[in-house]
Amino acid sequence: MNSKRFLVTIVALILLTSIMAGCSSKNNEAGNNAGDSGKKEKVAIKVWLTPQWKGVLDATEPGADYDSFFKHAAEKFTAQYSKYDAKVDVEVIAGDQRDQLLNVNLSSGTPPDVIFESVFALGDYVHRGALAPLTDIVDDASKKDIAQSYWDSVTFGKDVYFYPFQNNPGTLVYNADMFKAAGLEKFVGGDTEIKTWTLAEYEEILKGLKDNLPKDKYSNAYPMALYAMNNQGDTWNLAYLRMFGNKFFDDQGNIVLDDANGVKAAAWLKKIKDAGYTNPGPESVSSNDVNGMFQNQQLAISFTNPVLFNNTKADMESGKLKKFDARLANIPSESGDPLSFTYVTGAGVFNTKDEKRMEVAKDFVKFFSTDPELVKSSKNAIPVRSSVAEEFKSEKPLFAAYDANSKYLFNFTGNVPGYSQLREVLYPELQALYMGASTPERAVKEYQTKGNKVIQTNKANSVIYGNQ
Amino acid sequence: MSHKTNNKKKMERFDVLSNAVVFIFAICSLFPLYWLFTSSLKNSSDVVKMPPDWWPRTITFDNYVDIFKSQPALRWAFNSLFVSGVSTILVIVVGAMAAYAFSKLKFKGRNLIFVIFISSLMIPKEIMIVPLFRITQEFGMVNSYNGMIWPNVATAFGVFLLKGFFDATPNALREASRIDGAGEWRTFLQIMLPIVKPGIGALFILNFVQVWNDYLWQLVIGQEKSMKTLMVGTATLMQDLNPNFAYKMAGATVAAIPMLLIFLLFQRYFTQGMTAGAVKE
Repeated sequence: MNSKRFLVTIVALILLTSIMAGCSSKNNEAGNNAGDSGKKEKVAIKVWLTPQWKGVLDATEPGADYDSFFKHAAEKFTAQYSKYDAKVDVEVIAGDQRDQLLNVNLSSGTPPDVIFESVFALGDYVHRGALAPLTDIVDDASKKDIAQSYWDSVTFGKDVYFYPFQNNPGTLVYNADMFKAAGLEKFVGGDTEIKTWTLAEYEEILKGLKDNLPKDKYSNAYPMALYAMNNQGDTWNLAYLRMFGNKFFDDQGNIVLDDANGVKAAAWLKKIKDAGYTNPGPESVSSNDVNGMFQNQQLAISFTNPVLFNNTKADMESGKLKKFDARLANIPSESGDPLSFTYVTGAGVFNTKDEKRMEVAKDFVKFFSTDPELVKSSKNAIPVRSSVAEEFKSEKPLFAAYDANSKYLFNFTGNVPGYSQLREVLYPELQALYMGASTPERAVKEYQTKGNKVIQTNKANSVIYGNQ
Repeated sequence: MSHKTNNKKKMERFDVLSNAVVFIFAICSLFPLYWLFTSSLKNSSDVVKMPPDWWPRTITFDNYVDIFKSQPALRWAFNSLFVSGVSTILVIVVGAMAAYAFSKLKFKGRNLIFVIFISSLMIPKEIMIVPLFRITQEFGMVNSYNGMIWPNVATAFGVFLLKGFFDATPNALREASRIDGAGEWRTFLQIMLPIVKPGIGALFILNFVQVWNDYLWQLVIGQEKSMKTLMVGTATLMQDLNPNFAYKMAGATVAAIPMLLIFLLFQRYFTQGMTAGAVKE
């Protein structure tokens, strides 16, 4: 009797699994179906994006979510598309899931057709030959509307591999209230300005904050954020290393940090740390930690980008954060010109080896990257299109300031192969520097040697360098 | 008499000391749970505050509201429960039968096959992800419960664990059952299986926890929003540029509660399973 019951249980369990599996979504692998339902051939493509902004135009819309824009764009695209009966599936993936998902799917021959993400995170996929060039879908009107510096950051070799949509420039953020409390009013910029200080002024600010910040009001507070626990937010560290004029990459895509200017920059970082101008223990502090410290008014100057900055302001408005006067500043340099970089976000098309799907994918990318209504959504970060920046300049006064900075942009990845591995080489050298286990000279030398080794190894497998 | 009193006092002192040590260890073990729960009631910047707030200055339930209101968190929770529950039951069914066979039945190559089975435990799942994904894809099981469940059933751990329990049962019981006319199935189901219940309880908890916490496989196989598990789904909501730690803590709290309940329910079997066979009687 019991054995019968046992067998029945197993069969029931298997049936239940099958039923549930049947109820669940079928394998929605993108593919072609030459169906007879319509005259046009059916082509399904898959779009992946990491969380960027909620809503179609902004997060105030009801039901706004990270995929709202792309679902809306897909609807609009399929409604007007005449070549095929296109279907666009949109999936949101977390940034820290991106590489795992892409690598498994690339190895299995099922990458998504389109990916929308920060370009710097995807450069290695270009060098691996996983992405298709998009040069053929870039028209003259877009070339004119989008500044050359943005095109440079999406160009690998001779081809454009990503269609730039918006960007997130990296700057410093400072607590103007803390500046005023330390008697540094003269260095405070306007609230819609990205203030530029000279390096001498910056050092004066750091000293002023260290010496004069009232301890009763700002106990346990430090002048500037410094971190090297991991690769998070390392772009700011890369910028600091350029402070004294080092150009970081040569024309062949090799690291050239090991010169007098590179050593000077590393020595400067060590100097401000030792002088107590930064949070203690930067070797074991992450960018997320310092961001929290800044929001809790324990740091007067920190790193930021438009998304972080807007979120900080929004949290103050909603009462999640105690209000203070947060303003923007450029990363100073010895030359006086601001050090400016940006994370360009855009779409890339994977080389799925399915011509029809790639054609639809490219058409979709071109559609949402050029459609006059859809490109307005780029205002959720900083638009790459001058026309959009112009349209929203009264609503978003900082757009003009960011636009003015665009001429100082440096391409922090150099579009070199193996950039993600390169990131793993920098922070251990900075940790050694801050802990006193390495000298500035040795730190930059080690980084250059190890970094160039990574680049050389990856160049050997790069399609851009013609080695695959 | 005074010698006895002294000994008693010494024992009492030792008890106090050992209890104090155990108490400190218990606090250390429970602190991460406490921190997880209280952080889920803070806003993101307060989670990384230094020095930390040991108790939230202002309590907010926004993180939980966000998870359940704007995302299909209940569906994700169901997916996690269903996948973990069904996988575990199937592992127990398959593992118990195989373990019984390896332990009690005599057949050619038994030891060799068992060694091959056990060797598979030494291969990390990450190594098999790509071929496993390709196979699952060929079967059309991506974005389905089948794809999320069946690869988890093909594990030798259950066989390994339960074989030890079957080994500890006297052969005389099986022989007596056979003499009394019971077939192999009946002996297995009615005589042997009830004896290894503590082992099954331990396997249930261990396997359930393992599948519940499985991230990589569920990440690659459940790509549609509705097919994500709680672990994967909550991670998807983290923005690279603006990581909301309190939100992640709330997700982890929601993910931890069913595990705590399962452990409390099966705790008796688990502890029995851990100690069974430790002493030969």
